[in-house]
Amino acid sequence: MNCRECKEHLYEYLDREITPQIEREIKQHLEECPPCGEEFDFEKLFLQFLKARCRAQGAPPELKRRILNELFDE
Amino acid sequence: MTPPIPPVPPAPPAPPAPPAAPSGGSAADAEKRASFEREALVHLDTLYRVALRLTGNAAEADDLVQETMLKAYRAWHQFERGTNAKGWLLTILRHAFINEYRRRTRHPETVDIDAIEPFSVFQEVQDDDPQGTFFDRIVDDEVLQAIDTLPEQFRETVVLSDVEGMSYDEIARVLEVPVGTVKSRLFRARRLLQQKLYDYAVDQGYIKGSSK
Repeated sequence: MNCRECKEHLYEYLDREITPQIEREIKQHLEECPPCGEEFDFEKLFLQFLKARCRAQGAPPELKRRILNELFDE
Repeated sequence: MTPPIPPVPPAPPAPPAPPAAPSGGSAADAEKRASFEREALVHLDTLYRVALRLTGNAAEADDLVQETMLKAYRAWHQFERGTNAKGWLLTILRHAFINEYRRRTRHPETVDIDAIEPFSVFQEVQDDDPQGTFFDRIVDDEVLQAIDTLPEQFRETVVLSDVEGMSYDEIARVLEVPVGTVKSRLFRARRLLQQKLYDYAVDQGYIKGSSK
């Protein structure tokens, strides 16, 4: 696998949406190619950062009460 | 001469029977309520986060989620138990948004998302900050605001994937597009978001901008 082919699978690899065969080929390429390894690390950290920033917000308790009232206390 | 008597129009079809037992069904009602709480209401936070990003407005998000739950409860008998309730609920939410809210909350988009080819931020920062530590200085609200500026098709894909952690297949079902479309949208959406956050970090002085 060359660099271009490897990068084509970048997000599928990080999202674990890839076949075991291609996953092995990418792993091997990343071990042998430090520039691709750095780029994959950068993207992996970016995705972790996104998840960490966006998950905190939940539905307001008032909304849950409103829904429960409407559904069950008619 | 008397005009021919017009044929009697057929009786209108009877309205569909309500899904729940109309009366005396307290045991069935209790079961319905329990299963709805167990399988549907547990996804309230997910629905709210997605609604917030779709509408861009807390009051509209509240209404959209409430309407979604009401529709889902009425149609609960149609939901196949044990299948993916989150996906089912998100499909209802998205249809409600498209049909009733989008016109009011956001104007239909004229952006050609196929023409968007964002550059790779890594290429810009690999010499100064190859780990992208400058991102860490950007706080939650600033990230959410950047997501809100994405074109709608990108925004919903990023939210389902990166905020809600759904698989490509689940996202494809909710958005009613092929998995290949999810992949290509996700790629461009993440790159565009990354670029927006990078530009913001440069503006804030968190990282030196490229001299290119």
